[in-house]
Amino acid sequence: MTLQLSPFSQKVELALIEANAPYRGYHIDLANKPEWFTSKVKPVGKVPAVTYGGPSVDPEDPSPLSAKITESNVILEFLADLYPDSGLLPKDPVLRAKVRFFIDASTKHVEGPLYDFLLGDGSYESVLKGIEFVQGLLESGDFAVGDHFTIADACISPLLTRLKIITENDLGRFPVGLGFKLGEELKGPKFTKFTKYVDQILERPSLKQTYDKEGVITYLRAFFVRAQ
Amino acid sequence: MSEQLTLYLYKLSPYSQKIELALTEANAPHRTYQVDLFNKPEWFASKVNPVGKVPVVTYGGPNVEPNDPSPLSAKIAESNVILEFLADLYPDSGLLPKDPVLRAKVRFFIDASTKHIEGPSLAFILGKESYDNILKGIEFIQELLEEGRDFAVGDHYTIADACISPSLARLKIITETDLGRAPARAFSREVESDYLETGKFPVGMGYKLGEELKGPKFVKFMKYVHRMLERPSLKQTHDEESVITFFKTRFTERVQ
Repeated sequence: MTLQLSPFSQKVELALIEANAPYRGYHIDLANKPEWFTSKVKPVGKVPAVTYGGPSVDPEDPSPLSAKITESNVILEFLADLYPDSGLLPKDPVLRAKVRFFIDASTKHVEGPLYDFLLGDGSYESVLKGIEFVQGLLESGDFAVGDHFTIADACISPLLTRLKIITENDLGRFPVGLGFKLGEELKGPKFTKFTKYVDQILERPSLKQTYDKEGVITYLRAFFVRAQ
Repeated sequence: MSEQLTLYLYKLSPYSQKIELALTEANAPHRTYQVDLFNKPEWFASKVNPVGKVPVVTYGGPNVEPNDPSPLSAKIAESNVILEFLADLYPDSGLLPKDPVLRAKVRFFIDASTKHIEGPSLAFILGKESYDNILKGIEFIQELLEEGRDFAVGDHYTIADACISPSLARLKIITETDLGRAPARAFSREVESDYLETGKFPVGMGYKLGEELKGPKFVKFMKYVHRMLERPSLKQTHDEESVITFFKTRFTERVQ
């Protein structure tokens, strides 16, 4: 169950596609949630949510017999457990710890500051500091950890798409021009490794499949309007 | 598993305690090294964790003294990341169940415990918030606990229990001693901003929280708390007197 515009939902879609996992997607209009969603898909009617197992029913008629799993990062780990040979998580414990550390860093140091910045509550310096921290974790390859797409890449990529929109369109409640300024900083030599990673990841077919750029821009424009 | 595993910890830290609990419950051979957070050895940031925090685990590499860490060992930081690492190293310990749906339940519980208990408890003890959010958080966690089951998830001690128990031990202290406020001294530069704000922890609020928790609404939760605090692993790793002394030195300003 997803909403195309939600970055949290996109994380899960990316992992499903990259793992070639068969699934059905059902779009929930968060502004107009169907009654059955809040009562039958616990706990609080959030997306993304995954139902697993139970009888094959219509998505609009979820069975009480299926397991219900929410919280995007919990779902990512669940998919890695269901598909242990997909590469979503490496087999080696130390590499797995690196993936999880990356996810934790991405959530703490990029997701948090970026949303604060977007809401006009945070500084763009915090965003840059966070990106620097995550850049420090990147190795030389195409992926966050190791040489395969993992849940670390799935976790951060939706943020990167939104980061790109913010810097290309100056969209957000921060002072005029700060979005463009952030973009300029990221083009500098200090962030070459990061920018290279972003460009690689955003070129992936799974990203292009799950990302409705115009839709997200419209949504961000509507929700993050600057006070005039 | 013959690789060395060394845990760098601060014995009064709840985050470090999570790892000690998991190691003890899994019977995992390991060494520990106490780091004085107020007097960190120079080699700690340069050789173990550039961020300077504990807990950190070093794994593998040559068998060296803990105060002479090798560049060849893997360094793993962040308490919840380390919990998962231990579950990976000891897949038959029960730290995580084998079934994917149950594993998801453990992770959901950990996420809920971090968001709804750890966060609000810290805000409360620092005098930034009333205990309302703690009660809401406890209600949320209580919903996840199954009647008749001894553990957070399933029939075995998991990393979910290890994750929440240190918070439960400290909640007990707060409700029994009414200790709380905003200290004048930061643990480290990284959390300085959290600690320099003046807090408003009114006298008696800790006791009041304790009274609420004794009510019929929280019976299931308190039973779970009691079971967790009675476990030998908890008693082994929890020096209540020292934590109380520590709280007393840090949380002394009160508001009438």
